[in-house]
Amino acid sequence: MTLLLLWILATFDAGFAGYREAAGRNALIDKSIYFRRALVRGALYGQLATMLVGAAAFAMLSLASESSRLLADFEIVGRRMLAIYLPYAIIIGIAFSLRAIRSVDIRSITSTVVFGPFTLIRPLVALAGVIWGILGAPRPATIALGLLVLILMLSSEPIMTWMRTGSFRSRSRQLYGRV
Amino acid sequence: MGDRIKPPGLDAVCECGRPSSDILQVFSGLAKELYFRSGKDKTLNVHHLTFIKRTWPQSDLTVSKPVAMPLFSVPRQGPEISDRIIDFDPETLERRPVRKADVIEEFLRLGSPWAAKIVSDVPGTADGVMDDEAVDQLLIKVHCEMQRMSEEFQHGQRAAELLKPLIQVLRDAAVPTPIRIVDVGCGTGFVIRWLTANASLGADVELIGADYNSALIAEANRLALAENLCSRFVVANAFRLEQAATVIISTGVLHHFRSAELLQLFRLHDHRNTHAFVHFDFHPSRVAPFGSWLFHAARMREPLAKHDGVLSAMRAHSSANLLSAAREGAPNFVSAIYGTQLWGLPIPRAFHALVGMRAEHRDGFLAKMENRIHALGVIE
Repeated sequence: MTLLLLWILATFDAGFAGYREAAGRNALIDKSIYFRRALVRGALYGQLATMLVGAAAFAMLSLASESSRLLADFEIVGRRMLAIYLPYAIIIGIAFSLRAIRSVDIRSITSTVVFGPFTLIRPLVALAGVIWGILGAPRPATIALGLLVLILMLSSEPIMTWMRTGSFRSRSRQLYGRV
Repeated sequence: MGDRIKPPGLDAVCECGRPSSDILQVFSGLAKELYFRSGKDKTLNVHHLTFIKRTWPQSDLTVSKPVAMPLFSVPRQGPEISDRIIDFDPETLERRPVRKADVIEEFLRLGSPWAAKIVSDVPGTADGVMDDEAVDQLLIKVHCEMQRMSEEFQHGQRAAELLKPLIQVLRDAAVPTPIRIVDVGCGTGFVIRWLTANASLGADVELIGADYNSALIAEANRLALAENLCSRFVVANAFRLEQAATVIISTGVLHHFRSAELLQLFRLHDHRNTHAFVHFDFHPSRVAPFGSWLFHAARMREPLAKHDGVLSAMRAHSSANLLSAAREGAPNFVSAIYGTQLWGLPIPRAFHALVGMRAEHRDGFLAKMENRIHALGVIE
């Protein structure tokens, strides 16, 4: 259950990171397709990130002498991370439901009170979640995995920008002759 | 922070007690600022900026340390960067060259190294003038980011909320058609394009955006064409169009005009064909500077957008100032402020609007506002 919830949160967070990365770069009026693609791109990044974390965790478990104990520690860390990330996600979710109401004022106030400030504190929340999680079972493996999660969370927007802009494409062209 | 920049006319007192020979005078254009030498030869550290001494016009500012986005150090009375890096002749609308060093020095003199650093990052030409193309590209980018904010705060819908009843009143009064809505200082034309795409204002309504900046207008026309929107954008003085506006609108423009200029702006509204105006701008409140800082930090990427956005909220005119300027400058109109508070509660809004119209339209407008009337102040 912990794993499933973390995966859902990772997917949503990465999807929104994709949206934020795309926002403010397209001045057309109708951007529904543009933003849909950005959300999907973000969610796909989230899958790559979770796969990477999963692979790292699997490798650590394979190499550990007491893999069942390490697994239990991962579970503790995950549960504690949820204690930070879930309330944040719930508040964002409530703001999104309020935004469904067709009122200029209500929609504006969700931005003023929730979306703006919460975007700004997201890196701190990400950091707090990882620290709080690691404190539940501090050992090299949980610290390493926690750091990997943190790096992937904080780098989501820059990586998506890099992938979207020419740097990634030109590098691919150099390496493979085509994009 | 031992090194300080001193405005001309002030005694050059070196806080760090170094001998006067260490004081280096930097000359460029009309500026005669004294900087205090520190550390390396031929470089001067002023706040977080390093001035490298070279022969004019190659003199330039480079950044020695990252200049963080400050919260309260933006000067309230200072100009916005976008007002300084570009200049137009108000008569011919021709672009005038802007000397980069002059702009940098102005911001340094005003105590805004952050703004000076932003200007220093904009490419200049070999003769020390701001590079037109680079400035245009930067401004287009900034307008794109500003549009994101407008979209998030539902600005298109907000404009439509006021314009729809106004247009209905003008139709009822049999005002000559087409009812021409002209957006003053439209930039890349977000409001006009949004209204064209979504507001269904009617076939008898013509939507025009006007701006001095040809690059922004070209971008607005390109975007309108890309979405097949029948709005028009022109490089023009909005008050000197061949066919005058029926309704004048603007967003975030009024705070660029200070005292006498604001009065003059409203005087220009008094054309016989002009029946109403709706000007949106930041609503100043105690929380506005912090709120603006927070949002620009969270949403904007371009440092210029962050700087000017925060400064705009600080420079915004109060409702009382706007009303008195409108009533004095355009005495043939009745005017009111729309949307100062949220739901009549003491919760300030990010934007408010100055609404004005010919007195004969007042009653009709009040009737058409329906449940939005509570957000409208007294029209007189």
